[in-house]
Amino acid sequence: MKPISSRRARAIVVALAAGSLALTACSKNEGGDSGADSKKDQKEASVQSKAVTYADAAGSTGPAEAVPGAKTGGTINVYQEAGLSHLDPGQIYVSDAGQVANLLFRRLTQFKEDGKGGVSVVGDLATDSGKSSDGGKTWTFTLKDGVKDQNGNAITSADIRHTVERQYAKFIFDGPTYLQTWLSGADYRKALPNGGFDGKHLPDSVLATPDAKTVVFHFDTARPDLPQTLAMAGYAVVPEKTDTKEKYDKAPVATGPYKIASNKVGKELVLTKNTNWDPKTDSVRHQYADSFDLQFGITESTQTKRLIADQGADKNAIQLTGGVESTQIQDVIGNAAVSKRTVKGYQPYVMQLTFNLDRVKDIKVRQAITYAVNSKSLIAGEGGAYGGDVAPNYFAPTLPGYEATYDPYGRLKTPQGNIAKAKEILKDVPAAEKKVVFAYSNSEAGQKRKVAIEDALTKVGFNVVSKEVDSASYYEQIGKLNNPYDLYITGWGQDWPSAGTVITPIYDGTQVADGSSNYSHVKDPKVDALIKKALSEDPTAAAATWKEAQHYLLEKVIPAAPLWYTKQFQLSGSNIGGARYGSVSSLIDINRLFVKS
Amino acid sequence: MTSPVALDPELESNAEPVKAEPKLEGRSPGQLMWQRFKRDRTGVLCAVVVILYFVIALAAPLLTKLSGTDPYTLYGQDPTYADKPVLDQFGLPLGYFGGVSGDHWFGVEPQYGRDLFAMLMYGMRTSLFMALGVTVLLMATGVIIGLIGGYFGGRTDYWIGRVTDFFLSFPQQLFFIAFMPVVTAFFVDPREATPTYFRALAMLIVLWLLGWMGMARLVRSTVLSLREREFVEAAKVSGASPWRIVRKEILPNVVTPILVQFTFSLPSTILTIAFLSFAGVGFVEPTPDWGRLFAAAADYTEQDPAFLFFPGLALVIFVLAFNLLGDSVRDAFDPKSGR
Amino acid sequence: MFQFIIRRTVGALVTLILIGAATFFLFVAAPSDYASLACGKDCSPARLEDIRQALGLNLPIHQQFWDFMSGIVMGRDFPTGHCSAPCLGQSFYSGDMVWSTIMDRFPTTLTLTAGGAVVFVIVGVGAGMIAAYKRGTMVDKVATGVSMVLSSFQIYVLGPIVLLIFVYSTGWMDNPAYHPITENPWKWFTGLLLPVLVMATIFTAQYTRMARSSMIEQLAEEHVRTARAKGMSNKYVFFRYAWRGSMIPIVTVLGIDISAMLGGAVVTELTFSLQGIGRLAVDGAVHKDLPLTMGVMLFGAFFILIVNILTDIAYAYIDPRVRLS
Repeated sequence: MKPISSRRARAIVVALAAGSLALTACSKNEGGDSGADSKKDQKEASVQSKAVTYADAAGSTGPAEAVPGAKTGGTINVYQEAGLSHLDPGQIYVSDAGQVANLLFRRLTQFKEDGKGGVSVVGDLATDSGKSSDGGKTWTFTLKDGVKDQNGNAITSADIRHTVERQYAKFIFDGPTYLQTWLSGADYRKALPNGGFDGKHLPDSVLATPDAKTVVFHFDTARPDLPQTLAMAGYAVVPEKTDTKEKYDKAPVATGPYKIASNKVGKELVLTKNTNWDPKTDSVRHQYADSFDLQFGITESTQTKRLIADQGADKNAIQLTGGVESTQIQDVIGNAAVSKRTVKGYQPYVMQLTFNLDRVKDIKVRQAITYAVNSKSLIAGEGGAYGGDVAPNYFAPTLPGYEATYDPYGRLKTPQGNIAKAKEILKDVPAAEKKVVFAYSNSEAGQKRKVAIEDALTKVGFNVVSKEVDSASYYEQIGKLNNPYDLYITGWGQDWPSAGTVITPIYDGTQVADGSSNYSHVKDPKVDALIKKALSEDPTAAAATWKEAQHYLLEKVIPAAPLWYTKQFQLSGSNIGGARYGSVSSLIDINRLFVKS
Repeated sequence: MTSPVALDPELESNAEPVKAEPKLEGRSPGQLMWQRFKRDRTGVLCAVVVILYFVIALAAPLLTKLSGTDPYTLYGQDPTYADKPVLDQFGLPLGYFGGVSGDHWFGVEPQYGRDLFAMLMYGMRTSLFMALGVTVLLMATGVIIGLIGGYFGGRTDYWIGRVTDFFLSFPQQLFFIAFMPVVTAFFVDPREATPTYFRALAMLIVLWLLGWMGMARLVRSTVLSLREREFVEAAKVSGASPWRIVRKEILPNVVTPILVQFTFSLPSTILTIAFLSFAGVGFVEPTPDWGRLFAAAADYTEQDPAFLFFPGLALVIFVLAFNLLGDSVRDAFDPKSGR
Repeated sequence: MFQFIIRRTVGALVTLILIGAATFFLFVAAPSDYASLACGKDCSPARLEDIRQALGLNLPIHQQFWDFMSGIVMGRDFPTGHCSAPCLGQSFYSGDMVWSTIMDRFPTTLTLTAGGAVVFVIVGVGAGMIAAYKRGTMVDKVATGVSMVLSSFQIYVLGPIVLLIFVYSTGWMDNPAYHPITENPWKWFTGLLLPVLVMATIFTAQYTRMARSSMIEQLAEEHVRTARAKGMSNKYVFFRYAWRGSMIPIVTVLGIDISAMLGGAVVTELTFSLQGIGRLAVDGAVHKDLPLTMGVMLFGAFFILIVNILTDIAYAYIDPRVRLS
């Protein structure tokens, strides 16, 4: 009764299982070009970084130019991993809800792209992109005729006033705060604690609505960027009469081509046609598909697999904010049919290794680290050439004023780090200062970055102590003024194409506080002066000032070591037409999509 | 039909009338068990395999000296190795079968290009010993608690049962996430990295605290039916103390489910540790960890199956050998199972 | 028996309250809360305070705990509306009532659990018994060998492979999803078939081995030998006589597995993109969503306690020698 043969039987089973996998691996990987041309991407990006123009009434009049080959009808499936936490436009600041907001909500202004890199601000509810007077301190908007919400009610200036004022109420806390602080200062909630719901309103000296079609904003300083700010989803119109306050987050009123048919948060959101949307009043959006079916809970890995396979319902599918998963990029690039169905472009984010200037006081240490970091290994984790590019400076390729060749630390020449130079700089630095505490987000991705950073810095002679930070509260922890860390990786992206939304939040010395985005705690008077100057200048003059500020920061202060630019790479199903990269949203341009058959 | 007690073959062949009569010694159950085990060739082979695994794991530094690699160097990203590229543009290994070559016996890992052989050897060391420690603790605790609850019954069983219920329903993930930072902040200097042995200890405690319930309930359920049996009654009548009864009468009869569960627990603990590591509360990068290696490889199943193959095959063989060993031990232990 | 049930029910209630308290406490002890997470980048203390107020996080801990627990029995009022009993609070992240979210996801989890249990018992235990019956033969070796190899697979490896074969390359099956049984029973069945099979493949082995070794032990028992001596056929002895004694460890493991699955099979749900209770638990932990986490924990704990009580009662029925105290 000796069970000898069972061993053999089992061995066979094991061998079969292993063998089938082995067969797939047996082919030789010769390497070769991935087809990602960094220079070409950057050239395309520089097109993305052209300055934004403000259009007149002609550019703002609908209907929007038809998408070639477009057909009406069909349902577009949208796959997304995490659910949307807010549908109240006033609470929307993040890109996933922002993308959905492009279909649902109209604002005073919106962005229009010509597909060749030209971006302009046009009037959405307004007849044009706004008229400025009084040196840019006053902005006047006139509303278009015939714009109605999904219930058939016309949009008036009272609704615009309501949209702005409700942002002052306590229950709106997640959206942008630019307009409120520009109108009423940093402590804006004090100006209108009940958000206009109790009959009290903002004074005419701040916000005036002389008639049902006119809205006037008064600021205490020039605000040349206002039309771009008003294009954000956070400032989309909320009709006054149908505002249900906290309940609005689940059932907002739509003004765009689509409205909400059903909403199961975290599971499924179905949008159907808004019959009260008049295409003649909208110069950007279309209403080709009958409905959008957003499905949540689908991981990026699964989204990619489904879209590559392109079976059944996946043919009509797109990704919301997910992209091609980094491990599957080869499968997409290597297959011509799949590769055709992608859109790509730069995202506005620059990832950098920020120094805590309260602790890392020796500029030599900062210089050495900036020379030593291995951008290439970090980018490898993001998907290689399709996930990111080495960043030589603080401006993303999407920002007007981007200089592709401005590379004071030779990052482009030695993307894997210049160990020799770093060692040389560190020669005379005392050992005590070579110990650095690096905080990393305690997630899979964060751990991989930690490996890369530790590896690069240890080679140069640093003693790297890595401390994990709970990934959910990462930004809160490093945002504390007295955080116990020396280095941390942060990322920042422009809110609209202006350096003011990049340099100001992260390098303005007056903004150093708990929770502020000035993670390096840099308080340089020269930088602050330059910022103040640039914010009051017109765009052309401001560009030169921002350039000076960046150069000074990167060469003389070094509050952070630039690491990489992030790229977006999205797939769509074979039955989706009109797919184009939207440079403003850094996602597929959802307003142009149609179902082919 | 069950066979009568076999006369030991060694005894038979040793009969030499010239020498003094060999004393007929009674063999203890332990010795009998060892005899039976030695006869089971599969069992012995599996025992050898399992021991081999532990030996390999211990000898990891020696083995990597032989291979000339280490588990920490990023061969694919380190500029000092730029002349010997191991990864392609997509971060996938060049060459055959995931980059198997004279330099890298098992190939390299995608993206960073670390040597898979070294990572596996060291990873086995971390995972095996950690899992062994945890599983032994779990088993011991679970068995003791299950025995006490099952045998003594009444109020003891009730309260032990409620405590078991509590821990079973306990939010484990939440506990991991909350526990580690608090304990780390308490014991570790903020300017120092958290030492690996500290992580290991914390994990041991947490896994132990939250893992004994399954075994306890299993043992308890078996004991519930055993304690009414005649031989237990007989022991009681003859005046044996409860502890003696538990040790000598009940425990040997509970061995079967315990063994099955043990051989199941060890490999699954290896993988639980991996998940903890992913969540950041276990062994973090760059500490090599077999389970985490396996889980990371799962992402590359299609693109680089070789990455999954080596750790996966090692795991399959280990699980097989370990489970078969458990079966053999059980068969050897239980005289009634008729071999 | 009645007294037993009463005692256990009381115990279960107390345990639930303790679990609630433990979860609450752990949440509070953890590094940060939902407000700081929601506040995200560019967070001023004023904005943080606004968020905390909006969510009721500025109230004292015991007040929050009391509000939550009493809400379960009495219902609660929120700015967005009334939440009737059993009210498990309002999710910080989604703003939905936790109870309705759980009820929405529960059918998926229930189907997975039921499917899994059916396969474990029929295939797993069945294979184990057959292996024990035909002990030592090829059938036995193949059954145990295959089950051991399969058990060393992992869902996150086997799942994607199965999906690749059946969904992506060939299109034979649709993406796994839950379809309500009331709408279309066939779609309900096929929709979750793949996840159930994958889950079953891996976990059945435990049942096979447990059943096999339990049966082998039972077969050596005196009452079985007596039955055989009396002339009962092997088959009868096996399938009608001996199996009861072997069931106790199986029922125990089944109970633990069922209650664990009802609390959410996280890895299965993640691998197959299903929306079950497991995902909710993960989402709750990731977003630091206290009401959601509390709700899911209590929900899962409820099932664990119920199943444990039922399992204990089952012991008494299976093995009359067992006396429940």
